[in-house]
Formats: sequence, structure tokens, C-alpha cells
Amino acid sequence: MQEFLNWLKTPGLTHFLIVSGILFSLGVFAVLTRRNAIMVLMGIELILNAANINFIAFSRYSTGTLDGQVIAIFVIILAAAEAAIALAIVLNIYQNFNTVNVDEFNRLRD
Amino acid sequence: MVEQLIANLRGFIPEVSLAVTFCVALVAGLIVKKHQQEFISVLALVGTLIAGVFVLIYADQSQTLFSGMIVADPFATYFKVVITLCSIIIILFSQYSSEVQQTVKRMGEYYALLVAMTLGMFLMVGATNLLMMVLAIELTSLTSYILSGYTKEATDSSEASLKYIIYGALSTGLMLYGISILFGLTGATDMFGVNQALAAGPVNAIALLIASILIIAGFGYKISAVPFHFWTPDVYEGAPVTITAFLSVASKAAGFAVMIRFFKVCFIDSNVVGLPAGMWASLQGFEWNNLVAILAVLTMTLGNLVAVWQDNMKRLLAYSSIAHAGYMLMGVVVLSDKGVAAVLIYFAVYLFMNLGAFYCVMLVANKLGSEHIDSYKGLGHRAPLLSTAMVVFFISLAGLPPTAGFIGKLYLFAALLDAQWVWLAVIGALNSVVSLYYYVRVVRNMFLRDPEGSAEPVALPVAQVVILLALVIPTLVLGLYFGPLVDFANASVVMFGLP
Amino acid sequence: MLTEFGKILIFLILGAVFVAGGLVTSWILRPKRPYPEKLSSYECGEEPVGNAWVRFNVRFYVIALVFLIFDVEVVFLFPWALVYRELGLFAFLEMAVFLIILLVGLAYVWVKGDLDWDKPKPEIPMLKRSVNLVQPKEVQEPTPV
Repeated sequence: MQEFLNWLKTPGLTHFLIVSGILFSLGVFAVLTRRNAIMVLMGIELILNAANINFIAFSRYSTGTLDGQVIAIFVIILAAAEAAIALAIVLNIYQNFNTVNVDEFNRLRD
Repeated sequence: MVEQLIANLRGFIPEVSLAVTFCVALVAGLIVKKHQQEFISVLALVGTLIAGVFVLIYADQSQTLFSGMIVADPFATYFKVVITLCSIIIILFSQYSSEVQQTVKRMGEYYALLVAMTLGMFLMVGATNLLMMVLAIELTSLTSYILSGYTKEATDSSEASLKYIIYGALSTGLMLYGISILFGLTGATDMFGVNQALAAGPVNAIALLIASILIIAGFGYKISAVPFHFWTPDVYEGAPVTITAFLSVASKAAGFAVMIRFFKVCFIDSNVVGLPAGMWASLQGFEWNNLVAILAVLTMTLGNLVAVWQDNMKRLLAYSSIAHAGYMLMGVVVLSDKGVAAVLIYFAVYLFMNLGAFYCVMLVANKLGSEHIDSYKGLGHRAPLLSTAMVVFFISLAGLPPTAGFIGKLYLFAALLDAQWVWLAVIGALNSVVSLYYYVRVVRNMFLRDPEGSAEPVALPVAQVVILLALVIPTLVLGLYFGPLVDFANASVVMFGLP
Repeated sequence: MLTEFGKILIFLILGAVFVAGGLVTSWILRPKRPYPEKLSSYECGEEPVGNAWVRFNVRFYVIALVFLIFDVEVVFLFPWALVYRELGLFAFLEMAVFLIILLVGLAYVWVKGDLDWDKPKPEIPMLKRSVNLVQPKEVQEPTPV
């Protein structure tokens, strides 16, 4: 117990990797289980941010260069662009189908 | 530093001209009046042509640009030529697609996005930095999400677009996570840096495997390999035909280019001696090509087997294009220059035959308003030229002589046998036999069945016949006279910074 | 022996205890005499009109999307501003190109009319037809053939 507390008190690379791993898993879980298109997109944002935490943690603790932080900036922009387009598409699909439940879009299927 | 950047710009002119064309087409779409919208397509065509000319002018260069972000080398040049040809043909197609022409108000947007997508693919084939790679893939993807939902009043089109962006965004996310792990393992964002770090000492094998699988998910989605293919049939069916054709050829070509470059630059040990000329060895005993071999088998088998049941022509061609991605993955499995050259040859051939097949489907849909396989009944008598052209494309897609498709498959299988991948070659050959079945099914409907409903002949305008011939003739000629193409491909396997 | 993060942890725990404690004590101590007026939401003393869960105008949404893009692009300006002094004119030109491309996007949105906020036209009560006080006695309906 004492060891665990000590480990908690001295944050290092592992702590950040665990946080990002949890975020990543939550994101994948949201994508796989949520039926609302907006929720699925939020799950994807979680995955992107998990990658961002990884980049910054590695940049701080292991490489010692700024490369990881630069990538993180670009990933933020990329996520924003993707979200803008995805939301526009969801708006369009709401006008056509009157729902955003991904299970109900099955006009195209085998 | 400034001089260096300006010198770099010289190797970057094709991309710059595409970017300028994008902005100009976007603005022109706002200024030009409604009835003069063809002007924008001419603008896009000219811009793409100029980019293509610059690609050819600087074809012999091999240098790295913008401090290692991207390279201009023969390998990239080959793919840029294929992509430029493809986008020129697609811009011409768009002139005659009734789906696209209906939305006359947003024509500027359409061509601007098409040019932007071409720009994204140009960046993809040259990217040597992991960040640049992701950004280029994302530029291509974002524009294709919008374009596949371009006819946004059509429910099919908007559904396709939503499915595409959900799968696409997910695989981008997975890929970025994989890259972040790879960055942690090697401390490099540059592909050459990754290679050096891996060559310097062993890294955690499991972490490397997980990172590679996640990155392969990103590539697999772009080239629609099983099991990352779920979006393909739906998007191909729902999107406008021109965009479907563009995605099936150019987007796939760019995906293969970036995938081959990533694996070859990152995971190849250049210090192993004693290998036959043109063969490679992978670093640290990391057998990534076994992973790709499994993908190849799954991709072509599933693609071909499911295509047998399809009744919608666009869906049938979607599964057929999945199967073709499987064939081409076989070329990536072989760790040799021969394998890569075979993929390059296959893409040149695939460009003409697949675009041709989609063009025929588009013309039929324009005339008959249907993409269902039953509406092709008796088409052989109603439109002999169109049907004959379609037969040529299908024979070529099935890989029978004397068409170009045969040459493509021949070089692939030769490369496989050369590297002792006999079982993979056998599976590939069996798959070709299966594919014959569903191609022949369409041909049988066209020539051996009586038409349902009207039997009046379907006439084509001269311009459309010219485009059709421009696709049929290369498909036939490359099947007989393929020396120059093979030489070009063999000369283009050279990548910057590799022996 | 506490690290910086340990202090933050204690701070977080204290914060949570403070909020929860305040809510719980007031819940225990306060008299409970609810009536509808008391339970309704407080809107600056006015009587609330309708439900708060209304649909927003879709125009907010378009503006929000445009804002999102242009807002996030500014992230690129911060690192640029930090090294601007070292790079000089070239950095200025590079950023100018970037901003011009962004401006093309802004111009596009503007011309397309997505920035206009057209108000709903006020309905002015007007007579739709000319005043005709003398009504015709009976309008002959055309008999269906």
C-alpha cells in the first residue's frame, strides 16, 4: 500500500501512459457501443486526445525534443477540422433521416 | 535557411500549383455565373494538367524537402503520374455525369475539393515524416468525406458520407495512437529516424507489434483491406459515380504508396549483406510481411466471394476493388524490388480498367437511370460499343490475356514465385477464377439475355465515345506492348535515402 | 513528504469535501416547504416563459462551426509569434500565405451567406386583396362534368 502511494506521488511516464490507455479504451468502447452518431464522434475525439497525451508525455520524459508537442498541436487542429465536417454531415443526415441513430441508416446494405 | 527553403520550393511546384488551383477554383465558383459553370471544370483541368507537367519536368530529382517532411523521388513521381492521370479523367467524367451536373449551384466546390484531394494524395506519396503522413492522409480523407456526400439531397449519398467519416475518423484515431507509441519507442517522428533507432538496438517487441497493427489499421482503411473494409461497399454505392471511381483508383494508389514507403523506410535493415539483388531484410526479426500476407488473403477472398452475390453494379465493383487491393497487397508481402515494381505496374493497368468499368456504369446509369444488374439485360444489342468496351474492361479485371490486367497479374505472381511465396500465389490464382464468375454474369446479362422493357438502341454522343475509347485502347495496348511501362516501373522503385 | 501533485490531490479532495459538505449541511438544516413558484427556475425575477430545453436556431450551429475552424487555426500563430524575431521576413511571408488561404475560406463563407443573420420578417397585417365591401351574393361553382 505504501509503495503504491509512493508510486502515485511521483508521477512519471507510466502514469501518463496509463491515463492515455484508459482514455483510448473509453474512446474505443464509446465507438463500439454508442448508437448516437454524435456520441460515436465524441469517442473518436477521446482516442485522438489519448494519442495527444502519449505524444506530450513521450516528448517530456523520453525524447527530450519538442517534436511530440508540435505533433500535438497539429492533432488538435486535425480533430477540430474533422469534428466540423462530421457535425456538418450529421446535420445533413438529420435533415434527410430525422434521426442520428447509426442503426437506422441501413438503406445501403448487402 | 531562406535560400534552402526557396530551393525546396522548386521541388514542390506541382503541389503549389494544385494549391493555387484549389483557391482559384473556389473563388471562381463564387464569381462565375450559373450558366457558365463549365468554366470551373476547365480551370480545374488546366490546373491539374500544369501540376502533371511539372511532375514530369522534375521527374529525375531525388531530394528531401522542408527538412525531411516530404521527399521528391522516382517512387513518388510514378504515383503522382498515376494520380494526375486519374484526376484528369475524373474531371472529364464529371462533365457527363448527370448526378454531378444536377447540382449546378455548388460546382465550384466540387472541382475545388477534387483538386484538394489530388493535392492530399500528392503529399501522401511523398511523405517521409509521420506527422506529414497523417496530415496528408487526413487532407485526402476530409475532402473525400465531403465529396461522397456531395449530392446531399440524396439520402443514399448522405448516409454514405456519414458511414465514411465514422470509419475514417476511427481509423485515423487508431493510426495516431499507433504512431504515438512508435514515437515513444524510437523517439523519432521521421521515418529515417525510426529506422535508425530500430537498427541501433532492440525495442519492446510487443509494443512494436501493437503500434504496427494500429498503424496498419489506418493504411488498411485507406486501401480498403479486410477487416477495415466495412465502409467500402456502402460508400461506393452511395457516393456519386465519379467520386466512387476516384476513390477506387487514386485514393487506393496513394494509400499503397504511403504504406509501401512506411514499411520499407522504417522496418528494412539496409546493412544485411548476402541477399540477392533487390531483396530486403526486415529489422529485428520483425516479420511484418506475415501480417500483410494474412491481410492479403482475407482481402481478396472476402472481396471475391461477396462480389458473387451482388446485384448492384457499383456494389459489385466495390467488392471487386476490395479483391484487387488484396492482389496488390501480395506485392507488398514480397520483400523485394520486384514486388514493389509489380504493384506499380498493376496500378497503371488498374487505372485504365477500373475507371473504364466505372465509366460504363455511369453512362448506363445516365441513360437507364439504374445500376441494377437486371437493367443490363440485352444491353449488348442496344448499345454494342458500350457493351463491348465493358467486356474488355471486365476481361482485364479478371486478368485474362490479351488485356492489360493479365500483364499486371503476371508480374505479381512472378514476383511471388521468385520469393518462394507459393501458397500465396496459389490462393491468388484461385481467387482470380472466382472473380471470373461474377464478371461473366454481367457479360451474360448483356449479350445472352433479352432486354426487359424497352429495346430501343442507346446512342452515345461523340465526346463520350472518345473518352470511352481513350480508356479501352490503353487497356488493350498495354496487354500486348508493355515494355515501356515495365521499364518505367522498374526505374521507379528507387526511394530517396535507400540503397 | 508531499510532491507538487500530492498537494493538488489534497486540494481536489478538500474542494470536493467543501462543496459536498455545504450542500449536505444546508439540506439537513433548512426547512422544507416547497410550493410551485419556489420550485420554478430563477430568471432574473421575471416569470419564466416556456421550457429551457428549446431548440436553438440552426444558424447558431453554422456560425459555431465557422468559429471553431477559425478559432483553432489561431493555435498556429502562437509558436510562430515566439520565433518570429529570429526568422524575420520569411516567417512573415509564410504566415501571410497561410492567412490568405484562410481568408479565401472566410470570403467563401461570407459570399455564400452563412454569416448573414436574416431575421424573420415581421408580419405586418395587410389586406391580401383590394377592398371589396360588397360581397357577391353567390359564387357559381363550376359543376363537375
